[in-house]
Amino acid sequence: MSVMVDDDLWSAVGDPTRRRMLDQLLQDGVGTPTSLSEHLPVTRQAVTKHLVVLDRVGLVHGTSAGRERQFRVDQAQLARAVAQLADVGATWDSRLQRIKRLAETIQSEKDNT
Amino acid sequence: MGHGSIQRELRIEATPDVVFDVVSSPEHIADWWSADTRIEATTGSTGELVWTDAETGRRDVARIEVADAQPPRLFSFRWTHDADGPLHASNSMLVTFELTPDGDCTVLRMTETGFRERGWDEAKVEAEYADHVNGWDFFLPRLPVYAAKVGANR
Repeated sequence: MSVMVDDDLWSAVGDPTRRRMLDQLLQDGVGTPTSLSEHLPVTRQAVTKHLVVLDRVGLVHGTSAGRERQFRVDQAQLARAVAQLADVGATWDSRLQRIKRLAETIQSEKDNT
Repeated sequence: MGHGSIQRELRIEATPDVVFDVVSSPEHIADWWSADTRIEATTGSTGELVWTDAETGRRDVARIEVADAQPPRLFSFRWTHDADGPLHASNSMLVTFELTPDGDCTVLRMTETGFRERGWDEAKVEAEYADHVNGWDFFLPRLPVYAAKVGANR
């Protein structure tokens, strides 16, 4: 059976800048557009845009605290994205095992005739 | 290899001719992918992959196009669930089977790239140009842990 991948989730995590933001948030636990932009070669405004994308697919959540919103990674949603990647790999593993069995069965039938 | 792709390699006790036939012929695709298709093992051949749920009769259809067929050493195709028009790098996944003879056996290398969006390709380009950045070094080691957690909750 084919594996259905959530396109929005993959697009969100497919962008290198957004992945680095996720890395930074996982490392620090929490971050603001200002703190994230200090670690990245992009502006605070760009970080804010990326946070909107990540927030839309539920990978981060923002809370209002003081002057800037604070963002945290949603561990459950990140786990879901990761599980989809793992699923794709596992699915190919089982397909390839079937390919191997089929080919070896055909070969041994050939050799025995 | 970029992280936006999957790569596997396995040794099969069969000749490349046999393995090529298994990975590329509709008769065998029906077996290892559970999909009905009428594609031919020739470059440019297009068609559909159809999975039918035996109980509900529900059909799941994907498009497939043979990108390159060089029997018995290479077979690659693009496939996708949701694109109209021609299949290309930004709207489909590319699966490549490379077959290398090894005595009486065949080493089969499979790669799948694409994942239906360009993000992963861009990530690879980025990785080549920005070697000072290793965000994935932090992220990737955590993947198995998260995957295991999710598995445990299912």
